[in-house]
Amino acid sequence: MPNLPPNPDDALMGAASRNGRTEAVVPTYYERPMLKAPHWEWNVVTYLFLGGVMGGLGLIQLLAHPERDDERRLKRTARYTAFILAAANPAILITHLGKPERFLNMMRIVKIKSPMSLGVWGLVFYSGAAGANVVRELAVDGVLPRWMRFVAPGFMAPAQALLGAFTAGYTGVLLSATANPFWGSGKRHIPAASVCSGLASASALASLLSTLEGNHAAVHKLERLEMVAGAAELLVLNDFKRASGEYGKPFFEGKRGERLRTYTVLAGTLAPMALNALGQMVKLPKPIDAVRTTVASVLTLVGGYILRDSLIEAGKASARDPKAAFRQPR
Amino acid sequence: MATGFFTDTTLCIGCKACEVACKQWNELPSDGFEFTGNSYDNTSELSGTTWRHVAFVEQMSVDPEGGLHDRWLMSSDVCKHCTNAGCLEACPTGAIIRNEFGAVFIQPDVCNGCGYCVVSCPFGVVDLIEKFDPEGTHYNLASLSESRLDSKQTAVQQSGGVAGKCTLCYDRQKVGFVPACAKACPTESIQFGDLDELRARAKARVETLTERGVEATLYGADDVGGGIGSLNAFFLLTDRPETYNLPAQPVLPSTRQPAGYTAAAVAAVGLALAGWMIFRNA
Repeated sequence: MPNLPPNPDDALMGAASRNGRTEAVVPTYYERPMLKAPHWEWNVVTYLFLGGVMGGLGLIQLLAHPERDDERRLKRTARYTAFILAAANPAILITHLGKPERFLNMMRIVKIKSPMSLGVWGLVFYSGAAGANVVRELAVDGVLPRWMRFVAPGFMAPAQALLGAFTAGYTGVLLSATANPFWGSGKRHIPAASVCSGLASASALASLLSTLEGNHAAVHKLERLEMVAGAAELLVLNDFKRASGEYGKPFFEGKRGERLRTYTVLAGTLAPMALNALGQMVKLPKPIDAVRTTVASVLTLVGGYILRDSLIEAGKASARDPKAAFRQPR
Repeated sequence: MATGFFTDTTLCIGCKACEVACKQWNELPSDGFEFTGNSYDNTSELSGTTWRHVAFVEQMSVDPEGGLHDRWLMSSDVCKHCTNAGCLEACPTGAIIRNEFGAVFIQPDVCNGCGYCVVSCPFGVVDLIEKFDPEGTHYNLASLSESRLDSKQTAVQQSGGVAGKCTLCYDRQKVGFVPACAKACPTESIQFGDLDELRARAKARVETLTERGVEATLYGADDVGGGIGSLNAFFLLTDRPETYNLPAQPVLPSTRQPAGYTAAAVAAVGLALAGWMIFRNA
């Protein structure tokens, strides 16, 4: 804001007369926060994390081709897992809201301008598509009568993938389209990172489950997908650090920054990438390879969870900084 | 008819009658008692159960000639009832509505306590109300009348854990009363009325003050920028907005949504293509 009158408080604070010159100092109100910090805890972190994972599984179940044996099995695993996660997520949201009935209040309206409203509807429709595809799997496997596979015609696979992309992406928009200065500074980066991290975590979970099934051919492809998604996530986070500047400090610097670098970047992305690259290049004995995949997958999943937790915690810190709140990012 | 508040901070004497009147009329619980050491402000901030908050700013400085300059700014803060309200747009249940008086109102029986409005208010006004505890010693109504608590809890008290903020005294306005804070204000620092009339009055007041050599500006009488528009509760200030804990550059959160959804879509399409190549080539 140009031409602001000097604040008489500055002289008293001793900030104005450095080098004998008057510096413009942004006043604060007893350094009290201007904004309210989110009161979101582990349940919202988990809700966002699972939103990303189930979104990624939506893509994986589409990519897997039903006529190749390994991908056929992968498709089934991805669909079952996606449905379980989609069913679990409302329960997690309810632990945050306090009472089950409160979840139903979300169903009163559809509000395009509210990412929370759109996201819940995205979740509901995703659950529908995932459920239909699970019925199809059960019918194909003979658990349910064969005719029931028509519950999920062919277009349900791309539908689940599209809805999945939305479920993963909106978990980022949910944060970036708020008044929180740090979240707002990542209006492009947080949604993009959420999609990348969601797919990396989904690939990790699918390869972990495929390893347990002994479906090694599918693991090979999933690990390549995980590497690409992880690399994209790192590129986005790196650019986010540059673009967010002062706003990004609660996330990228200090203890939280260290935790992010250790768990999400190093252990959660770079280490699994190295392990996955090793798996692509060297043919290891099967038991050792299973351990390698398991370690890489668990690391990626933990890294993805820590990323969401760091976003929430940095948001809390950012809300407590009045100077960031006075000038909200556009 | 859109109504609102014009809070003229040059008239505020810091008596906190507005805070008390608001708490009494709206049956809001006490926030406990804590000395902050921040001048006479022990209320500190607006919250789910504090809908008016009087800020005390003590400014004292010594100029190079040794002259003492002191100024005491007092300002009664309140929900701004924005033209484009971040909380209203964010609310996923439709609990937050714009009522017939142009005010932003939270229906406590519809609110599900998700807290998304809390992080979507560019002014840090809305907050969640703690769960109501009839046994709680901090709740001063409990000491007034126990029988009242059984039968006549307000909707906010019954539900607990919902969002709360100024209603612009929706219930009083409905029966033609002036909001409690404006009614209680002894200096007419808080003025209530038709918005057009209030804005005209505020602009005239700025002119008068300027003639007297007081630097006065209006905050929120016109568009505050960032997509928010004007504020139905606006202020006359004599210092930068930050001095009163008001943002110099507030932004309507939903304006960032198109960029966010686009970025997510670009990432998703890119990764889907990469995935397609990986699975096709395998």
